[in-house]
Amino acid sequence: MPSPERIDDHHMALRAARELAPGEVAALGPGLPGLVRGAVPEGTGIVFLSESGVVGVQNPDTASAQGAATGPGSAVVSTVELAAMARAGYVDAAVLQPAQVGADGGFCHWTSAATPGLLPPASAVELACGAGRVVFMLPHTAPDGQPNIVAQCTLPIDGVASRGVVITDIGILNIDQSGLTLAEVAPGWRSDDVVALTGASVEVSDGLAVMDFTPPEPGSFDKVYSSGVAAISDMPDGAVVMIDGFAGPGGMPHYLMVALRGHGAKDLTMVSNTAGIARIIGFGTPPGYQAIDHSILIENRQIRKAIASYPVSPSPARPSAFELAWQRGEVEIEVVPQGTLAERIRAGGAGVAAFYTPTGAGTLLTEGKETRTISGREYVLEPALRADYCLIRGYKADTLGNVVYKGTSRNFNAVMAPAATITVIEVDEIVEPGELDPEAIVTPGVYIDRVVRRPADFSPYE
Amino acid sequence: MTEQASYTKVFDSPAAALGDLFDGATVLISGHNGIGVPESLIRAMIASPVNNLTCVCQGAWPHGAESVDLADLVESGKVSRLITPQGFGPDRPGAVKQSWEAGKLQIEIVPQGVLAEQLRAGGAGLGGVFVPEGVGTRFQDGQEVRSFNGREYIFREAIRADFALLRADAADFAGNLTYRGTQRNWNLPMAMAARISIAEVDEIFEPGRIDPELVITPGIFVNRIVQTL
Repeated sequence: MPSPERIDDHHMALRAARELAPGEVAALGPGLPGLVRGAVPEGTGIVFLSESGVVGVQNPDTASAQGAATGPGSAVVSTVELAAMARAGYVDAAVLQPAQVGADGGFCHWTSAATPGLLPPASAVELACGAGRVVFMLPHTAPDGQPNIVAQCTLPIDGVASRGVVITDIGILNIDQSGLTLAEVAPGWRSDDVVALTGASVEVSDGLAVMDFTPPEPGSFDKVYSSGVAAISDMPDGAVVMIDGFAGPGGMPHYLMVALRGHGAKDLTMVSNTAGIARIIGFGTPPGYQAIDHSILIENRQIRKAIASYPVSPSPARPSAFELAWQRGEVEIEVVPQGTLAERIRAGGAGVAAFYTPTGAGTLLTEGKETRTISGREYVLEPALRADYCLIRGYKADTLGNVVYKGTSRNFNAVMAPAATITVIEVDEIVEPGELDPEAIVTPGVYIDRVVRRPADFSPYE
Repeated sequence: MTEQASYTKVFDSPAAALGDLFDGATVLISGHNGIGVPESLIRAMIASPVNNLTCVCQGAWPHGAESVDLADLVESGKVSRLITPQGFGPDRPGAVKQSWEAGKLQIEIVPQGVLAEQLRAGGAGLGGVFVPEGVGTRFQDGQEVRSFNGREYIFREAIRADFALLRADAADFAGNLTYRGTQRNWNLPMAMAARISIAEVDEIFEPGRIDPELVITPGIFVNRIVQTL
């Protein structure tokens, strides 16, 4: 009896599209995954990350070279940033075409398999390593009839997917710690026949279904919160919080800081450039007023520790709130050189565990730290810094969280945005997707979880 | 007669901008899948007398008869070593594969994200970084693997080079660059990671014409500018 027909590439892409949910970030590797974008109708809210450097909601223009066209709400980023997003875990689903997949999740990317002896993986290594789950797309068997899904890869592996789903031309298998489970079969196929063509032991799901090619439901998401208080209401005591601000009022999230004071979370570790000196220096504060800065959280006894490059006042005669608290023994301090602070935060946001920097080598600031001589120069090992929350300030954001800054207010904002579990931004204006030029976006929405508008009548002084 | 600007980074031609390229140099070349490739500079390299170059690039395969790309440079015999995540395209291997098979071209494969981060580290003055990608695969062979917070990472040394060839949309005399579409791809880390960065651009402006907030590669990372031919 002849086998039923296998589904074509387009139907595999249609089925793969159903694995993605509104608001999720999907990275599409080269090959079959490139078809997935075209298989998703407009308005599903899925964010695609393309290797060419576009991060965007729904770009249906698959005809353009390498998917390079930008759609409304997308942002253009560099290769470094793309890799950083994947490595740091901002990709929910990596869609990849392997040549071979093992029951343990190990896989060999098709570009590697295509050139034995050279084994070039392209972007598959970082996409698989950082993604929440991997969606594999491949023919169930090779042209010679041998299974492409095996107990353990015979080809060199490019990575291991601890959670994955394998979509083939005859069925769908789930990969988890217990191995392979057949979840769906292509129309007309019996589970026994699919299992027989698989080179590993397969459990058949109790809920075995027939593959469904209905496009994903329209869905939308937006990241806009009604107020600063609403945007930080879940912050627990003891959280690590990054708060932007270079020194003066530029780029400082005053509105969110006031919300945090009202919220009252305690025992916080605050990561910031200064620990609040605007209040002391003034920076043009009108007479009779005080500038809002990090000091308001210290005075409210919410900060247990500060990690900062400049935690003190420039004037011994006028100590800052943090200095006074430190003198009273109420707070701890970790002083980090400014560039090292920025680099540690950047590493945290880019999925880099640690790095060697020449900054501070041989000084008190790096005493006790591991050093290493590289190409004749001494470097110090510095660990990445990540936070639970990040409070930053932009000029304009769209409802998907794409941000532009004004003037030099971007300072630490852009580097902090990727480095926290929950990043909250206050902006002067919230616009619809498409109103910001994708090439002018500094912080892509992938990094932003919550957007609040700073009320027009809000004053940075009190 | 008005006095000339005190300095300019603009060179008369791609050949002039590459005048001090030397045998055995390491050259970073921007571009991703044929987008943002510094074609005029590659043509000038092909015409130059230098040899034995090490090139760091995304890949080297032909993108069409109209354009000049890394494959043409390799075919010219000037490249002895490629450091790349892709090598040549499996569908269009051509002369690059032949050179590799004949042993005339060494190819060192580095995962794309690792290469990007190594260049970024070199450009940022770091000695090296610990990255998670490649753990448990052939990419950790011979490398230091270390655990941080219960997860394994691989040490990768920073990459720096003698030259970087960039492709941007516009520049001012000071070398500030803007890009069009996805042209920016590898440009920024490469600009930072080379001793001499040369940008090929469509338009050259006087300083002040480019909005400072829209500059993607600050001129501090760019040494020379040439008009694309």
